[in-house]
Amino acid sequence: MTRAIVAVAAALALVALAGWLFGHSPIDLLTILLGGSLDETILKAIPLLLTGLTIAVAFRAGVWNIGGEGQFIAGALAAFVAARFGLAAALAASVIAGAAWASIASLLRWWRNAPEVLTTILLNFIAINVLGWCVNGPLQESSARYPQTDAVSIALPQIGDVHAGVVLAAAVAVVAWWLLYHTREGLRLRATGFNPAAAKFAGVNVEAQIFRAMAVSGGCAGLAGGIELLGVTHRLFERFAAGYGYSGIAVALLAQLHPLGTVVSAFFFGALATGAGELQRSANISATVATLIQAVVIFTMILFGRRERA
Amino acid sequence: MILLAITAATPLLLAVLGETIVQRSGIINLGIEAMMLTAAMTAVLFAQGSHSAAIGVLGGIAGAAAAGALFGFFAIELHADQIVTGVAANLLALGATGFVYREMEQSAVFVRAVPRLRVDVIVPLAWIVLPIALALVLWRTMFGLRLRACGENPEAVERVRLYRWSALGIESVLTGIAGAHLALMLSSGFAENMVAGRGFIALSIVIFGRWKFKGAILGTALFGIAAAAQYALQAMNRGIEFHLLLALPYVATLLILCGIAGRVRAPEALGR
Repeated sequence: MTRAIVAVAAALALVALAGWLFGHSPIDLLTILLGGSLDETILKAIPLLLTGLTIAVAFRAGVWNIGGEGQFIAGALAAFVAARFGLAAALAASVIAGAAWASIASLLRWWRNAPEVLTTILLNFIAINVLGWCVNGPLQESSARYPQTDAVSIALPQIGDVHAGVVLAAAVAVVAWWLLYHTREGLRLRATGFNPAAAKFAGVNVEAQIFRAMAVSGGCAGLAGGIELLGVTHRLFERFAAGYGYSGIAVALLAQLHPLGTVVSAFFFGALATGAGELQRSANISATVATLIQAVVIFTMILFGRRERA
Repeated sequence: MILLAITAATPLLLAVLGETIVQRSGIINLGIEAMMLTAAMTAVLFAQGSHSAAIGVLGGIAGAAAAGALFGFFAIELHADQIVTGVAANLLALGATGFVYREMEQSAVFVRAVPRLRVDVIVPLAWIVLPIALALVLWRTMFGLRLRACGENPEAVERVRLYRWSALGIESVLTGIAGAHLALMLSSGFAENMVAGRGFIALSIVIFGRWKFKGAILGTALFGIAAAAQYALQAMNRGIEFHLLLALPYVATLLILCGIAGRVRAPEALGR
C-alpha cells in the first residue's frame, strides 16, 4: 500500500517537474490531470480494470499473459458477430473468444513447451491483422467508405451517464478476488505461481492449473473488448485495442496483483487518461503523459518491491 | 522494389541483430522499441544541433544507450522481471518522447529539414558488414563463447553481468543506428510513436531466425519484402487480403516456436 502511494507520488512529481521545465505551472498541470470528469474516468477505468485482472490472474499463477491486446480484440470480434443473438450472447461470446485466444498460447506451452511470453505477443499481432482484414473486408460497413464496421444493433444499457459495463467489471473483480482467496481453485492457482515444484508435490496438476488460469485471464480481456464495443465504440476499426492490454500491466502492478486493489488502481489510471486528454485539449500538453506515469509507476513498484522482499 | 524493401527494413534488421546478441546472453529485452524510439528522437536533436547526420547517428546511439542502461539497471543489476522491465521501458519512451515532441513541435528542431547522410552507408553496413563481424565475435572468440554461455548456463560463467551488459551495449549501438536511420534517412525527422511496433516484430524475427544471424537476415528480408508488397498491392486497391498475408509471418514464427516448422532451441537460460 505504501509502495503504491510512493509510486503514484513519484510519478506525479516527475510529470509536474517535466511540465515545469517546459514552462507550465505544475499546480495547474496536476489540477487538470487529476480533475477529469467522473463519468469519463469510469468509462476509461472499465477496460483497464478488466485488462488489469487479466494480468493479475495470470501472474498469480506464475504465467505471462502479455496477450491482453489480442484477447481484447478477439472478444470484441466475437461480440460483434454474436450481437444478433442479443446482449447476453454477445457478452458470453466475448468471454469465450478471449479465453480461447489465450488458450492457444497455453496449448502451445503444454504441447510444445513454447514460452507464453512470446506466443501471446505473436497472437497479439495475428489478432490485430485479422481485425484489419475484417474491417477492410468481410465486416466492413455497408457503405464501404471507411475501414470500420457498421454500428452494432445492440448496446449495453446506460446507468446515469455510464454504461452497465461498470457493474459487470466490478462484479468480475469481486468474483476474481473470491476465486483467488476463498476457493480451493484459487489456492491451487496461487500455489502454482508461488512455487510450481511444491504445488506439484502437493498434488496440484500444474499444467491444467495454468491452462485454467490462462483461460480465466483471457476471458477477462475478451470481456473488456466486448464491453468496449457494446458500451463505448459500437463499431470495430483497426486501432480498436488502443494499448489496453499493455496498460493492464501497470494497473495490475500498482494493485500488487490484488483483484480488489485493481479496482482502485484502474480508477486511478482511468482518471489519469481522462485528465491527460483534457491536458492536451486545454494546455496543449501531450496526452502521452498518462503513458509516462504508467511507466514510472511500474519502475517505482519494482524498485520498492525489491527492498520489501530483501 | 527489392532494394527499396531492403532499405526500408534496415532499422528492423539492426534491431534483430542486436536482440539476437542480447538473447544469446540470456536476456529478453522487450525494450528494443524504447531504445529505437529514444534513438530516433535524440538522433534528430543531435543532427539538428550539429548540422551533421553523422553526429545525429552518434546521438541516436547515445539515446539508445540511455534507454538500454535503464533496462539494464533494472533487469541485470536489480534482477527485476525482464518482461515487466521491457514493457515499462517502452511505455516510458513512448510517453517521454511524445511529451517532449509536443512541447517542441513548433521549434525549428522538428520543423526544419533534417540533415541526411549523402550516401546511405548504413544499409550495406547492416546487411553485410555487421552480420559478418557479429557472427565472428559470437562464434569465433572467447568473448562470444562466454557471452553465449551466459545464455545457456549462467552459473558456469564468472562475471555474467559483464557479458550481459556488453551484449546490451552492442544492442544499444545497433538500435541507436536503427533509430537514427529511421528518423534521418527513411523519414524526414521525428514523429510520435514512429517505431510503430518494429521492436516487437524484431523480437519475433529473432525466433524466426532461430537465434542465428543468417536466419535474422533471411527473416528480415522476407518480412521487408512482404511489407513492401503490401503497399504496392494497396496502391492497386487490392490490399484487403494483405492484412491476412501480414499475419502470416507471425503465424510462421508461432509454428517455428512450436518446432513444427523445423527444429529450434532457444538459449537455455533465456529470461532468467
